[in-house]
Amino acid sequence: MDFTLEEGEIHALVGENGAGKSTLAKIVAGSIHSDAGSMSLFGEPYQPVSRREGAAAGVAHVRQQLSLVRGLTVAQNLQLGRPDAPAVFNAGAARDEVERWSDEFGLGVPAETLIDDMALAIRQQAEILIAVAWGARLLILDEPSSALGPIETEALIALCHRLRSEGTPIIYISHRLPELTELADRLTVLRAGRVVVEGADVRDADLREVATLMIGDVSLLEVNRPEIQRGSTRLTVSDLSVSSPHGVGCHGLDFDVAAGEILGVVGIAGNGQESLAKALTGQVKLASGNVLVDDTDISGSAGQAITAGVAHIHEDRSNGLAASFTVADNATARHIGNRRFTRFGVRMGDKIAHHARELIERFQVRPPEPAAMASSLSGGNQQKLMAARELEQNPAVLVAHGPTKGLDPEAAKAMRDRCFAVAQAGGAVVVISADLDEVADLAHRIIVLYRGVVTDAFPIEDMTPQRLGAAMAGLSETSGVSGD
Amino acid sequence: MSQLLEATFWSATVAGGLRLATPLIYASIGETFAQRAGVLNLGLEGYMIIGALTSLYVADPTVAPLGFLVGGLAGMLLAAFMVLLSIRLYANQVVVGFGLTILGIGTTGYIFRVTTDVGGRDRQVSLPSEVDIPLLSDIPWLGDALFGHSWYTWLALGLVLVTGFIASRTIFGLEVKAVGEDPDAAAARGVDVVRVRTIATLMSGFLGGLGGAALMLGSVGRFQPWLTANRGFIALIVIIMASWSIWGAAVGAFVFGFFEALGFNLNNVFVDVPVEGLNAIPFFVALLILTASARWARMPRGLGENYVPTV
Repeated sequence: MDFTLEEGEIHALVGENGAGKSTLAKIVAGSIHSDAGSMSLFGEPYQPVSRREGAAAGVAHVRQQLSLVRGLTVAQNLQLGRPDAPAVFNAGAARDEVERWSDEFGLGVPAETLIDDMALAIRQQAEILIAVAWGARLLILDEPSSALGPIETEALIALCHRLRSEGTPIIYISHRLPELTELADRLTVLRAGRVVVEGADVRDADLREVATLMIGDVSLLEVNRPEIQRGSTRLTVSDLSVSSPHGVGCHGLDFDVAAGEILGVVGIAGNGQESLAKALTGQVKLASGNVLVDDTDISGSAGQAITAGVAHIHEDRSNGLAASFTVADNATARHIGNRRFTRFGVRMGDKIAHHARELIERFQVRPPEPAAMASSLSGGNQQKLMAARELEQNPAVLVAHGPTKGLDPEAAKAMRDRCFAVAQAGGAVVVISADLDEVADLAHRIIVLYRGVVTDAFPIEDMTPQRLGAAMAGLSETSGVSGD
Repeated sequence: MSQLLEATFWSATVAGGLRLATPLIYASIGETFAQRAGVLNLGLEGYMIIGALTSLYVADPTVAPLGFLVGGLAGMLLAAFMVLLSIRLYANQVVVGFGLTILGIGTTGYIFRVTTDVGGRDRQVSLPSEVDIPLLSDIPWLGDALFGHSWYTWLALGLVLVTGFIASRTIFGLEVKAVGEDPDAAAARGVDVVRVRTIATLMSGFLGGLGGAALMLGSVGRFQPWLTANRGFIALIVIIMASWSIWGAAVGAFVFGFFEALGFNLNNVFVDVPVEGLNAIPFFVALLILTASARWARMPRGLGENYVPTV
């Protein structure tokens, strides 16, 4: 990989999840080492072995996971770990320094407020401010806008321009294309660890083409898609909004899914998928709208959702299973709310084990041992166990969030077949995934999420890389938010 | 009853409170450092008792200040196990801490039994005299209450000032707070989390050992098995009441000592009330303050959680 950053420029680094953007940033910052190749910084050879050494050379990496200590103030964070800090902490001087930099950049960073009590955007400004105060000569901002609203993003862009005018070059990592035209000078596109476009001038670049390049080829694989009979509507989502304090919620979603239909929800991770999955399974209080399953309102009630027949394949197996419980306890966990496996409030171990054995058989969980700990299973078998728990009875609605994530091809195929089976049995299926191939394999129809709103919706036959890329990067005409 | 109206009763109670608080002050300011750094150092009782026995066995043939210092080092040695097992090898802090307390109580009791024949009467030191401060000690009421103390108490109060300054006004104090609140972020800012936690825990061991030594050399003079009688755990309570502030810990230690002294002195007033009832007063007060402190106490967020470096 080759990459150059000119003095005083803002260089955008774009690409899909897993394209290698953050890895490149970490190598430049010194937190990980490259296997081969070399770097130079402002003309000097540069081989940092730690983040500290990178920082000493003037490279500051502002990560998605912000690194200000939460129980301290901005002024205290300014002095914490600072290479040239005196042994005695001078609170007044630190406060003055924060205020001076804050004024200089026209920011409203409070010096003596605890980090805990600050909004995310201000924290981020504080971290950039501290990096500059420490003498950063090169800034790496890793997806700085991913959790920011439009006004906050404007402020961030203004700050970046201000820094550029002082001569500080910036590597700006993002997959939000619209903001880059305003922000950056040049852009580099990464895909699967390779540079696809190197240092193109942003003004000349065709963003639609860039979006397509980011995604690469999306092909409809030869999956044996079974013919499935459509039925009446089983899942109705109207005007659904969820607010999320630490991320992107969803705003005004409207869609319905019929019996036998598989709806794919795509989008780059962190654009409201999590909130949507929680809303569809009753796990979060809705800000507005409702979710109907066969005319039963399940909004905000996980118990109602289970009773109404909503099954949920969790995105993260470690949260979707009770890892320190046995296979049998996990397999029968959906029955905790009813009396099927208890008598006078006492759990009936034999009956649970017997039932679990049946499920293990049916869903081919290996090893077929009800008393084994769920944590002892391989990832693929944990996924099967979760499927066994959720799909034991034919669900009315299946919400499958990244169902084949991290599975080997065989296990992935088994999981896809499960989704088809649910649809064939008359269930409505929603597949939420950042993996486009996964959605393309399964879905009949696609909606695209960007910052929590639907930017495009089309049947799978109409899917092209261009259309998908534009919608995912917020360039779509139907997008209501990309321009604001 | 009329004794309660006499000034000397109360000056004696305040003076006794400060004397009883002295070991607690050493132990609680040290433990405050460890806990601010995120280390739930439940071995404190063990550090204290090992400090107490060691100080006696060194001071008996030599001089008290030497015994006092070596008592602190003995506490620090025991705390080194906390560093090794929990901070370096990530063993559960609660288990290791309790283990060190039990180890300290058991080992000192054993050593004492096998090295004395006459119930410890052959191993004892004389108690220190009061430091006579010209003028101040002669003030009628206050002189008795506040200024008639041994150098162990004065040193404790001096250490409160020093450690309070370190905690609130130095970069090291800032690092201690940072690694106790948010160790990952602190590490990302270049703070060596393991090093800071190690130093804070060793400080706690040293000051805990000094606390035990002050108890031994300053107010008891002879050993008995489990001499510390839960003072290490009382120091842990004091720290919560003080919301992990050094100044607050010193005040909390005094409050506890005051009510303990009050309980003792009331035994002479209410001779019909069983001793056990009046001796329970400080614990009732502590319970009330602890309950109330839920309103203001803010625990370090990373307290009790081991930090495993990612690289």
